[in-house]
Amino acid sequence: MLSTQERIQVAQVWDLIAGHEASFGAELLLRLFTVYPSTKSYFKHLGFCPDETQLLTHGQRMLEAVGVAVQHMDNLRAALSPLADLHAQVLRVDPSNFPLLIQCFQVVLASHLQGEFTVEMQAAWDKFLTGVAVVLTEKYR
Amino acid sequence: MVHLTAEEKSAVTALWSKVNVDEVGGEALGRLLVVYPWTQRFFDSFGDLSSPNAIMSNPKVKAHGKKVLNSFSDGLKNLDNLKGTFAKLSELHCDQLHVDPENFKLLGNVLVCVLARHFGKEFTPQVQGAFQKVVTGVANALAHKYH
Repeated sequence: MLSTQERIQVAQVWDLIAGHEASFGAELLLRLFTVYPSTKSYFKHLGFCPDETQLLTHGQRMLEAVGVAVQHMDNLRAALSPLADLHAQVLRVDPSNFPLLIQCFQVVLASHLQGEFTVEMQAAWDKFLTGVAVVLTEKYR
Repeated sequence: MVHLTAEEKSAVTALWSKVNVDEVGGEALGRLLVVYPWTQRFFDSFGDLSSPNAIMSNPKVKAHGKKVLNSFSDGLKNLDNLKGTFAKLSELHCDQLHVDPENFKLLGNVLVCVLARHFGKEFTPQVQGAFQKVVTGVANALAHKYH
């Protein structure tokens, strides 16, 4: 699905995120909740106004999962199977929300990388994250 | 109608005053064509779209991007009447250009990413929120006359 060049782009960007999963993830969630408030409906346990600690904790968890996906680009289905089960059986996040998260992910990347955020990186990451979303929602029915 | 708070309106106006509309337009359209290649279907007459480099440096892409974004800029001056402002353009995109309105949402999202790239930290979650509301409003206005 991803070409060799695209995999390189994904890995290159991940190198910049690795080690900063918590802060990156927290900003991602903050943007998601600010820009698309309806997404908060899936995070009742974080309360109406999640604080920084909660965002960092949950953000880290999400970004670590993205890291797993990066390490297993060749076999997302197997690597993300437990998460796919979780989303299908427990979380049941409506699939329409994943593009919202992906948009916020791109904005975090763009605002941090700025001049280094090439069009090839944006294309590769959009394709990669869309692939992850497909796998996470595949077992829904 | 777009419902921006007073703070959101001033954030949008302040940021937009620093935007090089001509350049950002070309970049946004170029990125749309690269990231979502199926959107190239509307631009058969634009010449070489064979690679990201070709697209980003294509003079027709830049010119058209500039045109699109100048139009968007007009919308920003009329946030209270986007449907009226874009009525003619909406008819054009439906009757002559046959563009699926989904593409307006895609371009809006790419534009937000381009702004984030240019403004970095200044493009806070609140500013992003304001701009996403604006691009959604413009997309809806452009779809309004479809039949």
